[in-house]
Amino acid sequence: MYSAWTAKYKPKCLAEVVGNTEAIKQFTDWIKSWERGAPKKRCVFLWGPPGIGKTVSTEVAANDLRMEFVEKNASDYRTEDAVNRFAGLASQYGSLFGGKRIILLDELDGLTGTADRGGVKAITDIAKTAQFPIVLIANNAYDPRFTNLRNYCLLIEFKKPAVGDVAKRLKQICEKEAIQADEDALKFIAQRSTGDIRSAVNDLQALGQGKKKLTYEDVSWLGYRDRQDTIFNVLRMIFYAKTVSSAKQAMNMSDADPDMLFEWIYENVPAHFTDPHDLANAMDALAMADVYRGRIRHTRDWSLMRYVVDYMTAGIAMARQSTKTSGWTPFKFPTRIMMLSRSRADRAIRRSIGNKIKRRCHISAVRASKEFLPFLRIIFKNNSEMAAGIAKWLDLDREMVEYVCESEG
Amino acid sequence: MSFEMWAEKYRPKNLDDMVNQREIVERLKSFVKSRNVPHCIFAGPPGTGKTTAALCLARDLYREAYREHLMELNASDERGIDVVRETVKTFARVKSIGEIPFKIMILDEADNMTSDAQQALRRTMERYTETCRFIMCANYSGKIIEPIQSRCAPFRFTYLPREEHDHYLKEIATKEKVKLTSEGLDAVFEVCGGDLRRAINTLQSAASLGKPVDSKVVYSVTGKASPADVQKMLKVAMDGDFVEARKQLREMIQKYGLAGSDIIRQIHTEIFRGDVPEKWKIKLADIVGEVDYRLVEGADEEVQLSALLAKLVEAGYAMKTGK
Repeated sequence: MYSAWTAKYKPKCLAEVVGNTEAIKQFTDWIKSWERGAPKKRCVFLWGPPGIGKTVSTEVAANDLRMEFVEKNASDYRTEDAVNRFAGLASQYGSLFGGKRIILLDELDGLTGTADRGGVKAITDIAKTAQFPIVLIANNAYDPRFTNLRNYCLLIEFKKPAVGDVAKRLKQICEKEAIQADEDALKFIAQRSTGDIRSAVNDLQALGQGKKKLTYEDVSWLGYRDRQDTIFNVLRMIFYAKTVSSAKQAMNMSDADPDMLFEWIYENVPAHFTDPHDLANAMDALAMADVYRGRIRHTRDWSLMRYVVDYMTAGIAMARQSTKTSGWTPFKFPTRIMMLSRSRADRAIRRSIGNKIKRRCHISAVRASKEFLPFLRIIFKNNSEMAAGIAKWLDLDREMVEYVCESEG
Repeated sequence: MSFEMWAEKYRPKNLDDMVNQREIVERLKSFVKSRNVPHCIFAGPPGTGKTTAALCLARDLYREAYREHLMELNASDERGIDVVRETVKTFARVKSIGEIPFKIMILDEADNMTSDAQQALRRTMERYTETCRFIMCANYSGKIIEPIQSRCAPFRFTYLPREEHDHYLKEIATKEKVKLTSEGLDAVFEVCGGDLRRAINTLQSAASLGKPVDSKVVYSVTGKASPADVQKMLKVAMDGDFVEARKQLREMIQKYGLAGSDIIRQIHTEIFRGDVPEKWKIKLADIVGEVDYRLVEGADEEVQLSALLAKLVEAGYAMKTGK
């Protein structure tokens, strides 16, 4: 039966939550402190990026400590009245069975100005007088709306778990699902999720469910699986922007990875800038964006990113002088990326052939594959007897021989 | 015909077998005679006998036991500082037993060593001179740091002149019972320009066709062996087909593993040779230089070079329209 792995493999107890050990310790200590009466701060404010276990930590904490769990999130109305009705009742009176209770107000970022009028103020009032531990969750605790509320809360920041930790969790899931997964593949998924373990698990399910093996090749497509639509829009906005600011805005609209967007632009510029001058200028802008990428690599100063973006967006848009916007030109998937994943395997085998030649011919593997391989191709194509002799002499294995025979030259 | 790589099979074994680089060979022979070898730099273009000379020297010096006294390291593959600190040092400091008190270390393609590694090497060379002599082979001696150069006797290898080139190839053809016509020989020399390794590889792959090796066979083979047809790519760009030119560029880099620096060097030559409009030549040279510099800085080869191709499209268009 199909079930979402995010639910199926949701942590059942605090020990199973990935990462954030310190934050969780601080959090449980605070809950336990209620046993000695209401602590100074009656509210705890868990904050941090999405998908890293804030909500689930609260749920399983309640479970671990055998407390009743009451939750309200963005899907509920949160006007002053509604919050009061809910949290007021929940906090002022004893729980149904006389036990302890934990109250969660999730997704506070979702409080809107008009519909949830007074919500923050009501929460603040409750925070002052609560009789039960109250847990607030938001992505950004430093939103100005929470300024006053913060004074009454114990702030605990949840951080993105390390890639290794996420990958480890993915591995456990694979083991339970009987999937043999490459370390590389899992690491790639983990990296791409940038700590959002929920999305990592979702991706893993999308790619791995029902499979026996999961290789790097399988997952390398992931990077561009989902966001093509948004990419198309962004590309269109950049390529056909009339002003610098609208071109730059296109970038803000999307959460596309800049490197990936760069590849899309690089692939599609020629089809959309057909006038030779425009093309030269657009390619020039891209080359400059690339120069700044290099400078970022050298200096590790990411603030230089803004210049990459300038060239990639405004630089491209302003290259358009004479090319008319004629009809509809479709956007193509970056060929370079497709070739890159293919040529990874090629490079590896070239390298191993190079090493074989090196052992015989006093030349580096790098140069061997350049200086000998083209000639070997010709020999292998034309003279199987000589080819067999050379293959034996160089000690090439079957795979290598096939590579030499098949690759064009 | 024999079934191994001829370039290796016919590599001279002793200094006496080497017919080219005569002056160098004579000096090396005198080292053998005196049983003493200084640190050396063998500099020169590929396929001119640098590694061969080093190997021959070692063989003549140590006779049958040469393997025990010789180590070959290839800096293109093992270029890091760790190699110098560990492999090189370990080899260099252990005293050799036998008549000759030192060993020989051949550092091939030494111009590919990182400068850190070269710095580390400089101490090792000095400290273990008694037990180990270094022969550094390099295409460009300029890429070897000054302090190392000053510790080494320099030897400058040059492309084989026509007679010596012909001598080798004819001998191989005779031994392999391959019919090599004189036009075929001309063609090989024209294409390989005195790079003997390339010449022998060309001869062997031409011979593999089973026909007499004439100029037609040679050109058909070398045409296939050099997919990196920079000239063709430039023409495609100048004719206005940017997408096709970029595709060819991509294949050179990704499929054939050509280095951006090699491509740019060829582009630079072609610009002054080809039918580029006069007023564009120096303009393009400036752009080529800028791209070259960016590549040294570590920019993306394909992106930078294709921006250059786009400039050529522009130049080609300007030429046609007279603008």
